[in-house]
Amino acid sequence: MNRTQNNDRKIIWTFGGGKGGSGKSFITVNIGIYLAKLGARVILIDADLGGANLHTFLGIFPPTLSLSDFIKGRVSHLHEVLLPTEIPNLQLLTGAQDLLNAADVKSVQKRKLLHSIQSLQSDYILIDLGGGNSLSVLDFFLMSDGGILVVTPEPTSIENTYRFLKSAYYRRLRQSVSSHSAKSLIDGAMDQKNEMGIQNPHDLFKEVRRIDEEDAKRIVEEVENFRPNLILNQVRSKKDIEIGFSIRSACQKYFGIHLHYLGYIVYDQDVGNSIRKRRPLVLENSRSRAAQCLTEIASKLASRR
Amino acid sequence: MKRIEEQTYYEILEVSPIASVKEIQRAYDRAKETFHADSLAIYSLFNEGEIKKIQAAIEEAYRILMDEALRKSYDQSHLQTIEKEEQESHMEVEGKSPERKGPLSFTDLSIHVEEAFYRGKTLKQIRERMDVDLKTISTETKINTKILEWIEEEALEKLPAPVYLKGFLKAYAQALNLEPQKVIEGYCQLFKEEKRK
Repeated sequence: MNRTQNNDRKIIWTFGGGKGGSGKSFITVNIGIYLAKLGARVILIDADLGGANLHTFLGIFPPTLSLSDFIKGRVSHLHEVLLPTEIPNLQLLTGAQDLLNAADVKSVQKRKLLHSIQSLQSDYILIDLGGGNSLSVLDFFLMSDGGILVVTPEPTSIENTYRFLKSAYYRRLRQSVSSHSAKSLIDGAMDQKNEMGIQNPHDLFKEVRRIDEEDAKRIVEEVENFRPNLILNQVRSKKDIEIGFSIRSACQKYFGIHLHYLGYIVYDQDVGNSIRKRRPLVLENSRSRAAQCLTEIASKLASRR
Repeated sequence: MKRIEEQTYYEILEVSPIASVKEIQRAYDRAKETFHADSLAIYSLFNEGEIKKIQAAIEEAYRILMDEALRKSYDQSHLQTIEKEEQESHMEVEGKSPERKGPLSFTDLSIHVEEAFYRGKTLKQIRERMDVDLKTISTETKINTKILEWIEEEALEKLPAPVYLKGFLKAYAQALNLEPQKVIEGYCQLFKEEKRK
């Protein structure tokens, strides 16, 4: 038995939102390495449905052991499927997509997995959620200590990120209210063409307040506590950097939430080169501009402990 | 969960109530960029009407907060909670609370109203002597400038029904720091006179 007590302070960050190709895996791996190099124990979990390939970023061949082995009961504990990497303190867990995106995923199974992840022995657990938008992905995003949205300054990426954020937001609100009528109002709000005329979170809030003051209070509380983070990737100009602030402001006005703009990563040829070499950027070319941006973001995350 | 129309000018521009002019300018530039019609960050969240509303709110917030006098009077009437917090901290330090002022208080102006009741032109006179334009009153009271004009012109036929008019008069009176009841009573005399004719 090598299970940890739950009392050690560990932090789970999830990287999600947007669409495939926005750089979530790249960022997850490089931030993970940075934290490991600071001396923290780090586990990377690959839950990308578009194609789990965190191992590629780390220069590891497709792993033989994966989360499936745990789910199917071939191993009894999650830590048994952890793979070592060349970086001390850094371990990898792949294959979560088997569960996260299965249509018939049972909430019991999901809870079991969440619990197992939470009981892994580590200082940081970084989960790459990929571009998925399924309920399980949303739950992972919401259960983490910090959900991090990775966006590129393009309309498609921003659009998808908002879609993801909307789903996560309403899911969180839905879980917080207790009355059946409030829940069905939220279900309605998720459908833009609903017959109740609920166009945005403000309309929803007004309706909920009309029927249940207690649930309205809960919503206010949830909105206040929902503080996702944003990383803007592949920025090419000062104007691109500003888009991060615009997204933050739009989220404030639309959802009423405080989105934390963690930072941006400049577009850099060295990133492509490092991926082709299958060598993480922060190791291969730590002086590159993109690596410096990553380092800055990672150190911000590390200081949040 | 405040709608744009419920937010303070500071919340609209996302600045602190003690923000400097420079900070307000920067916040305004950013807000303008964010809620520009072609902005990437908004089109998939807000519809056209919502964007227009936010744009208007940003302009209004900027206009008021960049004008020292307007900002001051706005602060006095809208930042009561902040004031209260400050008051509490002041009380700890100084043991007394700062003076509270009403909306648009022009305490050093003394206006003698000779007439027994307030007519439209009296209101206009008072307003002009305070050097406040209708737009400011309109912002302050959220009453359309057209209606304020009608009130001043005593355009009785155009004015809304007395029940609504009383509300407008009350707000206008408060904005001018006049006693609302006197203004309403005075103004309504006009209607009675009109009827007698």
